[in-house]
Amino acid sequence: MKKYLPLILLILLIIFPLIGRDDYHRHLMILVLMWVVIGTGWNIIAGCTGQVSFGASAFFGVGAYTAGLFSFKLGLSPWWGLAVSGLVCMALAFPFGWISFRLRGPYFALVTLALGEILRHIATVWESLTGGMVGILIVQTYVSKVPYYYMVLALAILSVVGVKVIMGTKWGYYFLSIREDQDAAESLGINTQFYKMLSLNISAFITGMVGALYMVYMGFIDPKVVFSLHDISIMAILVGIVGGVGTIYGPVVGAFIMVGLQEFFRTGFFGLFKWLGAVTDAQAVKVAAKYVSEAHVLGFGILVVLVILYLPNGIVGDWGKIIGAFIPRRKKEVQR
Amino acid sequence: MRKRALLMSLIFCLMGILAGGALAQDKVKVGVILPLTGELAKFGEIERKSFILGVDEINAAGGVNGKKIELIIEDTGGKPDVGRSAVEKLISQDKVIVIGGGYSSSETWAAVAVSQQHKIPFLVNTGSADNITEQKWEYIFRLSPPVSEYPQAVQSFLTKVGDVKNVAIIYENTLFGQSGAKDFAAQCDKAGFKVILKEGYESGAVDFKPLLIKVKSAKPDLIYMISYIMDASLLMRQSKELNINPKLFIGGAAGFTLPEFKKNAGDATEYVYSATLWTPSIPYPGAKAYFDKFQAKYNSTTEYHGAEAYACIYVIADALKRAKSLTPGDVREAMAQTDMMTAFGPVKFISYGKMTQQNKLPTFLVQWQKGKLETVWPENVSTAKYIYPVPPWSKR
Amino acid sequence: MEVFLQTLVAGILKGGLYGLIGIGMTLIMGVMGIINLAHGQLMMIAMYITYSLFQFLGIDPYVSLLISMPALFLLGMAIQKYTLNPLLEVESILPENQVLMTVGIGMVLTEIIRFAFGSDYKSVQTSYSTSTFFIGEISFSLALTVAFFIAVVFTILMFWFLLKTDMGRCIRATAQDKDAALLMGVNSKRITIITFGLGSALVAAAGSLLIPIYYLFPDIGGPFTRKAFVITILGGLGSTVGAILGGLTLGLAESFGATYIGMAFDDMIGLIIFILVLLFIPGGFKRLTKI
Repeated sequence: MKKYLPLILLILLIIFPLIGRDDYHRHLMILVLMWVVIGTGWNIIAGCTGQVSFGASAFFGVGAYTAGLFSFKLGLSPWWGLAVSGLVCMALAFPFGWISFRLRGPYFALVTLALGEILRHIATVWESLTGGMVGILIVQTYVSKVPYYYMVLALAILSVVGVKVIMGTKWGYYFLSIREDQDAAESLGINTQFYKMLSLNISAFITGMVGALYMVYMGFIDPKVVFSLHDISIMAILVGIVGGVGTIYGPVVGAFIMVGLQEFFRTGFFGLFKWLGAVTDAQAVKVAAKYVSEAHVLGFGILVVLVILYLPNGIVGDWGKIIGAFIPRRKKEVQR
Repeated sequence: MRKRALLMSLIFCLMGILAGGALAQDKVKVGVILPLTGELAKFGEIERKSFILGVDEINAAGGVNGKKIELIIEDTGGKPDVGRSAVEKLISQDKVIVIGGGYSSSETWAAVAVSQQHKIPFLVNTGSADNITEQKWEYIFRLSPPVSEYPQAVQSFLTKVGDVKNVAIIYENTLFGQSGAKDFAAQCDKAGFKVILKEGYESGAVDFKPLLIKVKSAKPDLIYMISYIMDASLLMRQSKELNINPKLFIGGAAGFTLPEFKKNAGDATEYVYSATLWTPSIPYPGAKAYFDKFQAKYNSTTEYHGAEAYACIYVIADALKRAKSLTPGDVREAMAQTDMMTAFGPVKFISYGKMTQQNKLPTFLVQWQKGKLETVWPENVSTAKYIYPVPPWSKR
Repeated sequence: MEVFLQTLVAGILKGGLYGLIGIGMTLIMGVMGIINLAHGQLMMIAMYITYSLFQFLGIDPYVSLLISMPALFLLGMAIQKYTLNPLLEVESILPENQVLMTVGIGMVLTEIIRFAFGSDYKSVQTSYSTSTFFIGEISFSLALTVAFFIAVVFTILMFWFLLKTDMGRCIRATAQDKDAALLMGVNSKRITIITFGLGSALVAAAGSLLIPIYYLFPDIGGPFTRKAFVITILGGLGSTVGAILGGLTLGLAESFGATYIGMAFDDMIGLIIFILVLLFIPGGFKRLTKI
């Protein structure tokens, strides 16, 4: 059963637009799949290679701006930008990695954070190129959401399967060895600089692609939206942590949970509070409903604290632990 | 375990059905998107309260041809992707026939594109990027002026009154600041003023002195600032500390007209001019009344964003009343014919320049005089005579 | 010349305050080896405490230092004891879990404040908020000058504390080598708890000193966290003198950047200095000053 779970999920995702004809649900699914890609991009560099990055926004933003600038500056279709965005991000990742991979652990994390922030400032200040905070606005190509859905689904499948394949090869083992002990890996003759660079470039490539997809799908970007430390970089980390650091399907689970939770809180538990308020007409419920919608970031924060404390390897990574907590003890004894 | 799961899912299903069924039939559903969480929440909250204030009045007066308006307010967090989720939900789940709101330009853009695709009329009341109404989208209307028109009154004031030659422009690096500064600089060039300094800053700086000392040594006649309340207060306070004496200070809308500005900058606000779209003292019927009602109901002060929201719901109600039937298409037709007076000014959707279905409003110039905000320009609506040039700090 | 001197003064005064923010961070980073990404948020909490005391009880911000610092000391200790120390025992893939935890804590603190106070801007207007005095043509903000001198006093006190007291020696020993300190009979867990408390109390002082001339809202923490880690990396981990030098450097760099390059670049200048220092002087100023 467990073996077929990804396959079943995949089939469900492929036929989803046929079942869910509602544009609202399709939009939510597109967001989920985008986060699957961003989360996977974060996971390969941070979860699998151990180089925690606060810089997902840097690559996401550069990808989005690549697509945007193709139409804004060159007058071409933004789809051309989508085609090259991954490569542009790799072109950024290469010198960046070359310079900053001499740093380790938290210091590397801080440099990635600084990279995202610096790029945001550049995009804001360089008005003649990027339009500054006025942003870039394009008209979407398709009215229907289905083409976008399948595009982002294809990218999500590509990245998840790609990471799965990579992690099964020699490269994957090198990545893991760097995460576990970089000095030991080095002494065994692994070119750690090269493999860290490889990992970063894969991450940059897929994050940039999804950034460009965001541009063509949403039709609007500004520096604050796509280079956001909080809404992109930290959210990417949350997706990774909640789902499961260093696992293949962790970001998939994380993306469903994070986007789902955001919508859950935003709509006041999917309208539950509103309904209660309408039925009981009690002031207390209305006040509670207002607080619930305000509390979604607080909810995220508490979730992070709890997950790190009790499920440090995320839902996928600690699945055994979760199951163990629910299934009665005697089953465990049988296993023993 | 399994039983419990089954029970839980059953309860949730039930809730969903009930939630859907609980909505009454004799109501007109109007959707509103606003940022109620995140950084922009404080403005979203003012607009939300104004929408509710307006809709309560309309419903108390009989609603729309006997039917009550039901507001469905969705939070966007100020983010375009969430804003889009909100509009998709309003249209496909709640089946609203008209939508209002839209605070930041980014969320507004994402939202109106969806609305146009689904052919649901959308009345933008704040999102101010010029290009929102430049797409020839027949379902999108805008109540507020585009950002490029904010400094109009300043321009006419300067050409008729001032002997200003050199201008310094300080602006925050936001959509509002950057495009406002660019437009103002272009207008200065046209009018023959020399822009000797034009500089942006990142909102939230502790210390503006390095920037201001540069302004001081450039000796401008006019300092034009586009800033929100707190930066505006610090800028004025530190201008006073540094003893900078241009002929006049003008704020470009945003923070310079709000009561908090006075509270935070104290006597440094005296004689400061500001461009504005709306203050309670401008001579529109209902403007002052709206301000008072808001204060009485919520015990907090409102500002021009609130007035926009308040006017927005009245325009929507007006269109709903005149619509042949309560379908999005007919409501659009009715809204296109709008010609009414609101607390925010006259509303009529016209096409000019590149814009379509855009409401054109005059802008005003106000000045702080003896701690009170007086409308000083255009002269036919002024409440006090402008004071120009402004006396230097040492002679106050 | 006036432009230059005024910029210099503005940079030094701001730098003193930055130094105070940096000392707290540098202690925490030095002893625990983790980056506290909730540092600015702790300062935000202290600012709200100061604000409430002023608003509801009329206590002057300088007097409320006596309340906000102990309060944050306790809060910091609680955070270390109940959220960060347990992580040492948890099996996890990423050693950076503690850093990620501070991100989560920062979010929780910000949102709790948003819940309690709303997201409006608040400010404290004291009689001396806008007071200035002049030396020649150069204007000095009274509140910033006072803050600068208090920051210097705190630095000297910290320096003395670390150098001369038993507790200070234990802290330094733990920072140098945790295992060795443990073997010498230092209760390193207790030390980390106290250090986090001390760091929080110091940043609380910075918050209370900043309030008369600034304003506050729940999201104010983020930018200060960023400044704090830039200062710490500049100064070198665990070095109080380094933190003051780092703060001054950042303050001056921002001021001169704003005057001679452009105000829009002042944040960027800090971050670029940060990257350069990390890459080329990895130990920060500590390498040069040795303390």
